[in-house]
Amino acid sequence: MPEAVPQNGGYMIAAYVVAAVILISYAVSLYLRTRRTLRP
Amino acid sequence: MRMLRVGRWITALALLLLAGVYVRALAFTPVERLQGLAQKIFYLHVPAAIWAESAMVFVGLASVFYLFMKDPRLDRFASASAEVGTVFAAIVLTTGPIWGKPIWGTWWSWDARLTFTLFLFLLYVGYLLLRGAVADPATRARYAAVLGICGMCLVPFVHFSVYMFRTLHPMPIVLKPSAPSLPGSMLATWLFSFAVFTLLYVGFVTQRYALSYLREQLEAAAGDAGMGHA
Amino acid sequence: MPDWAKHAWRVARKDLLVELRARTGIVSAAAFVMLVLLAFNFGLDRTAVAAVDIAPSILWVTFTFAAIIALNRAFQLELENQAFDGLLLAPIGRGSIYLGKLIANLVFVATIEAIGVPLVALFFNLRILPYVLPLVGIIALATIGFVAVGTLFSAMTVRTRFSELLLPVLLLPFMIPPLMWAARATAGLLTDRPLSDIAGWLKMLAAYDIVFVTLALLLFPETVTE
Repeated sequence: MPEAVPQNGGYMIAAYVVAAVILISYAVSLYLRTRRTLRP
Repeated sequence: MRMLRVGRWITALALLLLAGVYVRALAFTPVERLQGLAQKIFYLHVPAAIWAESAMVFVGLASVFYLFMKDPRLDRFASASAEVGTVFAAIVLTTGPIWGKPIWGTWWSWDARLTFTLFLFLLYVGYLLLRGAVADPATRARYAAVLGICGMCLVPFVHFSVYMFRTLHPMPIVLKPSAPSLPGSMLATWLFSFAVFTLLYVGFVTQRYALSYLREQLEAAAGDAGMGHA
Repeated sequence: MPDWAKHAWRVARKDLLVELRARTGIVSAAAFVMLVLLAFNFGLDRTAVAAVDIAPSILWVTFTFAAIIALNRAFQLELENQAFDGLLLAPIGRGSIYLGKLIANLVFVATIEAIGVPLVALFFNLRILPYVLPLVGIIALATIGFVAVGTLFSAMTVRTRFSELLLPVLLLPFMIPPLMWAARATAGLLTDRPLSDIAGWLKMLAAYDIVFVTLALLLFPETVTE
């Protein structure tokens, strides 16, 4: 009898959200830092 | 500034395509039977890990060339690659334990790759801290290059230690989070994700490089203005 | 003796003489080692693990931290007396300056270790006399690695603002692999494992030393160019 596929979707969502947050935060940080440098 | 514009466009495109990766990975890639949905973390975790390590290699190479040629462009690139490498290492260190918890039962298990990435992260942080602590740009570039080269030479030793450590402390798991051979659809998703992470690296580094350049311009202008009043 | 060796020895002698006259460095370091061992003793459940299994790790962690503290002061002398320029103007090669500093630091750290080993043996009830010679070998190999990188980095961090904090942050990633190999080799030695078991760790330590001493010699001039 085949094992049921483990129900761990929550972790998947968490990881995808965390990765997106990190990448988008960094992109925003670059944008803001550059803007601050361009208009002292 | 053109480099900044190019960097911003590339990053925007990469983020858009990242959304595409998300859709494809989450909705259109088959679920791995043994690990379940959590396995899909693999599509983000591994490309991030590859770039976290490659960024360090670039920092090392740029550092070597900088010490020979003293070209500030190399220093700017090294600094940019280090910062972006830190971001990718952070992704590996967060997605790793989140993947590990359902698969291995613990958040942290001193797994070889995660431990190695932790080392990498700490080397990056040290590099960025050193840069922040030195005021004079020429000295900063030289010191950073010294640290960058040492860091690059340390990496093989860390690899050995980490993998040696692992054979001494067997992992409490039977399943391995990386699939040995990926069926077509999964491979396509992985390659798509890797391409997007590559684009993200390029876009971020370009922008960060531009930022360094603009800051230097600003400091130079402030210096001239100061001299005018002297 | 070739010129560079003479010069290196002069630099080393200067540092060691200052240290010997003041003696505060050695006393503080000895006290530090004792206090760390005390902390480990109270922090660990001694009934849970056999002394011979855990003592090598404690030994090496203690030495790692003691070395960092010793290295923090490596270029402090020059900094405090604005003597850096004087040192650089002297007609000796940069390589000699590095070697001299390295030798002085090695002597200092070796003294700390010489105090630490009997203390660990005492506190953890270890029989080390039969193993003294190979133990000294392991300690020498690991220490050269730590101190080579540490001397290079301390030249860079000494003039920065939070140097006491920055040096450990930069240095620790470089000390962890040798720490691991030295701890394993020491554990193997004290539990009478055959040489073939320990040889692997010794080879890694030797390789590390060769790579980083060479690297430090090549890179040191970059840290003191003005």
